[in-house]
Parts: sequence; structure tokens; C-alpha cells
Amino acid sequence: MNFNAARALAIALKEMRHILRDPFTLALGLGLPLLLLLMFGFIIDLNYGDIGLKVQDQDHTRFSREFARTFSSSGYFRLEPFSSEIAPVSWLDSEKASGVLVIKENFGRYIKSGRQGGAQLLLDGADNSKTGVVLSYLAGIMDAANRKFAQTPPRNSPEIRTRFLFNQELNSRWFIVPALATVIIGLLGVLLTAMTVAREWENGSMELLLSTPVSPLEIVAGKLLPYFALSLTGTVTVYIAARLVFGVPFNGSQIVYWTACSVFITAALAQGLLISVVARQQRLAMQLSMISGLLPAFLLSGFIFPVESMPVFFRYFTMILSPRWFMEISRGVFLKGAGFMELIRPLSALLAINAVLITLAVKKFKTDIEP
Amino acid sequence: MSAAAAVNVENLTIAFGAFKAVDDISFCVEAGEIFGFLGANGAGKTTCIRAICGLLSPTAGKITVAGRNVADDLLAIKALVGYMSQRFTLYPDLTVRENIAFAGALRKMPARKILARAKELFRFTGFDYPQDTLVQNLPGGVKQEVALCASLLHDPAIIFLDEPTAGVSPAPRARFWNLIKQLSTAGKTVFVTTHYMDEAEQCGRVSLMQTGRIAALDTPQNLKTANFPHPLYEISPSTAAAPGFAAALAASGAGAVRPWGLRYHLEEQNADLWRKFSAERAGQFSQRRITPTLEDVFLKLVGGSAA
Repeated sequence: MNFNAARALAIALKEMRHILRDPFTLALGLGLPLLLLLMFGFIIDLNYGDIGLKVQDQDHTRFSREFARTFSSSGYFRLEPFSSEIAPVSWLDSEKASGVLVIKENFGRYIKSGRQGGAQLLLDGADNSKTGVVLSYLAGIMDAANRKFAQTPPRNSPEIRTRFLFNQELNSRWFIVPALATVIIGLLGVLLTAMTVAREWENGSMELLLSTPVSPLEIVAGKLLPYFALSLTGTVTVYIAARLVFGVPFNGSQIVYWTACSVFITAALAQGLLISVVARQQRLAMQLSMISGLLPAFLLSGFIFPVESMPVFFRYFTMILSPRWFMEISRGVFLKGAGFMELIRPLSALLAINAVLITLAVKKFKTDIEP
Repeated sequence: MSAAAAVNVENLTIAFGAFKAVDDISFCVEAGEIFGFLGANGAGKTTCIRAICGLLSPTAGKITVAGRNVADDLLAIKALVGYMSQRFTLYPDLTVRENIAFAGALRKMPARKILARAKELFRFTGFDYPQDTLVQNLPGGVKQEVALCASLLHDPAIIFLDEPTAGVSPAPRARFWNLIKQLSTAGKTVFVTTHYMDEAEQCGRVSLMQTGRIAALDTPQNLKTANFPHPLYEISPSTAAAPGFAAALAASGAGAVRPWGLRYHLEEQNADLWRKFSAERAGQFSQRRITPTLEDVFLKLVGGSAA
């Protein structure tokens, strides 16, 4: 296939003019990434502190008070005692509390005699995410309580001391924001280019293009270039916002990060172009790009559900999706400071996806006018 | 096939599923001539021209342009020809200058040459809007002029114009045809499709298209003399005599009657019967002998409306 750089540049220049004259594309490329990052960055917060916990103490002993204090001293719970006339479940029904702790009569005696079941914790199973967090805190609290009440400290019992590396405070924003950048670039890139070829088919200009000796490769290259510049600018904005607004630390190498970004942006743009080339109608292209951009980026990238815990089919399926690989890179570089060597697998995967998408877009490019 | 042929088409068939848009046609366009495709919408004119420009693959048949086979040598042919689609192909959100510059760049023309050539073409067509006007703000006919200039920019030897004047008002239409004639004088081959009869009259040779086939192909003059060996009359019945007049005329056996607006064209086939009919119906109509036009030929060969 012939390739003339001057012709590809002429197409790039023309495409740049379309972008600059279309406020919608500009807003999509520059405004939307920032908007999404700020919205999601503030909304998605997986840290729960200050959980309201209603406590009914029916025992009124030193033990029961000591037990309740274990909860409050963990720092995660705010205890609100209530009298025994009220049914414990009503607090959950009215959603006035996230959990209810009932310490039964004879709790103290149970402890002294070593029996179990002196207290009950009621949680709202409908709010799965919050309950999960409470349960994870509970393990630590029970541990502390056991140590407190044990008459003879257990000897030689194995103990695990957990230390969180890379994100010592387990700050969920640090974890989410770099990942969110992946979602935003992945979705945006596909949306931006999905219209470009379809638009030329719909408004008839493709006929002029194809009546000249221009080749599909030149068209594809010429269309990738300006949208790459636009997406990269959007990505830089997201990066700056992640650092400044959310204070996400960046432990890696800028060169590694931006190289990977460039490869990922190209993959997303190529995916949009392929859709545009195949669909040849703007509306169809828009729908296809929403589905093929949004779903992999949000659900199959490891953003919400870790890839490792997906069913086997999806674990392999995600391998052909670029967001999954860039998610690995983005989190790795931001928090762990991973370099080229550690990222060789996801980087090679992204490059391979790029090669396949661009080749397909060129090969599938119809040079026939009629269907 | 003539050695000087600009376009040679042999047994061309283009089918979309079971429908044959072009059905086994053969013709040859000489270098330097103005060759017209005349036919109703859907007669296969555009499909044929697109196949010649390599914009769609024929189902069967062979096409050569400037001696090169379209199937083997497409890029060289694309570099050689100019094509103006009947669809509007410019970018409405770019200015005239930007559209022209883009068309030139696709043809690998240096910027300076594009400017000089555009200036020459705009002077030629009388285009006098500022070149920084966005194309979407130009009137329809003027847009077509810009599109024509874009397709002529690289000075192609063979020019394909698919209904270049559709929707264009009379004055610019005349300018268009002046331009086409000048191109022909300069030695260019012009292949034009139209459904305007007056435009077809200006072609060197005309091919009458009907449902994918060529109904006739010759110079406009030959088409007329060959198809109208007998005198042709225009008959205007008086208002009172109009009802049933055509039926009576047809039944008289004087000749073939074709409606022509409120009048009729009679192709005389039997002079005696025609004299007899005129005598019987004296005073009920007026008549005059006319020379046949291409429209007469078209209606006789193809039937129905040309437009």
C-alpha cells in the first residue's frame, strides 16, 4: 500500500480545522475528561469512617462497657446508645444507623465462663459495599477484644502483622484516580474518532477523497494524528488535576508513563476509527463506540472488579481490551513506580492491540462507493 | 477500440443483487470530445461513471481509461482524471481556500501552484466571493462552481462531471457550459451526465440511457435525422376541440402522436391521411412544421419524461 506523508499531513491539517471549528469536539476532548475526573474522584470514596453504630447495652457490666469501647476506640465507629424499649431492627429499617450492636444480659458472665454468643451485631445486608467495609473492620476489633478479655494470653499463637505498601494509608482516591484516568482516556479516544470516517461517508466528501489517488493508510494516519494531539492534551489535564486536586502521589517515571499513555491513546483512537470505517453511519458508529468504549473501560478493565477474580472466560477476554492493560500500567507507575522492565507485558500487549486495530481499520476501509 | 480513445467500455455490467444498474453496455469516448450521458434518474448514468472512475467494481466487463485498465492501474488513472460527483463533496465547515488547498494537496500539488491554478479557474468561472468564506455560507450554484474548480485543479486530461448543473440557476449553468466547451477546445475529454436536453444538445455525442442500457448513441444531429426521417408537426387544438382530439388524430392513421405539454407532436407517416384529417378538422387546430429536438428523440426512443 502506498503512503505519502504529505498527503497524510494534508488530511491531518484538514481534520484539525474540523476540530477547531467544532465546539462540541473541543469540549468532548478537553472539558469532559476533567469533568469526569472531578465528579468521580469526589463521588467514589471507598473509605468509611465515622460509621454510626447504635448500641444497646442490656448487661451494664464492666465487660459490656469495655466491649463497646473497643468499637469506639477503633476510630471507625461513632457509638449511640439507646434504651431497651426500642426494637434494634427499627434503626436499620429507618436507615438511621449502619449497624446495631446488642450486648445481651449476662454478657459479662459469658465472658468469664468462656462461653460464646453474648453479643449480636446487626448489619444492613442491602448496602453491600458498606457492610463489606464494616466486616473488614470487625475482624480487627474482635482481635483486640479477645486479647482484652483473655484470662491467659495465648502463647505461641501465630500472628500476622499487615503492612500496606505503596499506599500506606489505603487511601481509596489514590487507588481510584489513576484508574479513572484509564477509564476516561479509553472512553474518550473511542468516541472522538468514531464519527470521523462515518461523517465523510454521510456528507459525500468520501467520494471526492476516493476519486483522488489517496490511500486508506494515508486517511487513517491523517485522522489519527490530530485526535492524538487532542486526547493527549486532555490526558495532561487529567494528570495535573489528579496530582493537584486529589494529591495522588506519582512514584514512577514520567517517560514511562507518557510513553504508555501515547500507546494507549493510539489504541483507543484506532478502535474508534475501526468502528467508523466499518459502520459508515454516524449514529451506528456512536452507539458502537459507546458500548465498546464504555463497557470494557468500566467493567472489564479492573477498575471496579479485579481482573483476577473474574470468571475464566472474562479473564482471557480482557486480554484483547486495551483498558485492562493500561490499568495495570497506570496503577503500577503511579503508586509503585514501575519501570519499563516491570511493564513489559502490558506494554507489549498494548502495542500488539494497536497493530491489529490499525491494520484492520486500513484493510476494512472500503474504497467502493456503493454498498 | 480506437487508439485515441479516452474511455473504452466493453460489456460493462454492474449488478446490486438481482438488480442490474448497468446492463451489458459498450461504448467508446474519443479524446477531446464532449460526451454526454442523457437519461432519467435511475437509468444507470451515475453508476456507470463511478465504475469508470474506479469508485465501484464492475460485476463484469472491461473498462480502460487513457489506455489503462481500471482494474489494474487504478491509482494512475485517479491521478489522471478529474471527477465531480452529483453529491456535494466539499467540506461545509472549511473555507473556499481551505477546500481548494486540501483538494490540491491530495493531488500532491505544491502550494504555490494550487494558488495560481485556483486563481485562474476562479477567473474562468467568474467566482467572486471572498476565498475566506465558509463553503456552507455560499449559495448552492456557487458551491457547485467551487466543487468544479476543486476537481479541475490538477488540470486533468479526462474530466467526469456527474450532473454538474443539477439545481443550478440558468446564468451559472450557461457559464458552466462555456467552461466545458473551453476545456474541450483545450484538448480535454469531458464526460458529462445530464437530464437537461439543452445541455445534451451541446455535446459532441450523446448516449441515451434507459434502465441500464444504451438506447441510442450518436451526435445530436444524427440522432434527430436518423429517428425523424419524416416531417414533424406541432399541433395546437383549440380549446373547444381539445377533448378527444388526440385520440382522433391517432386514429386517423396520419402518424405517431406524442403529447407535448398542451400541444401534440405529430410525426407524419402517411401524407395523404394527414391531408385528409387536416381538411376534415379545418379550423379546429393550428399546426406548424418543426425541426425535431433531442427531446423528441428521447421521447420517441425512451418514452416518458426525461427529467
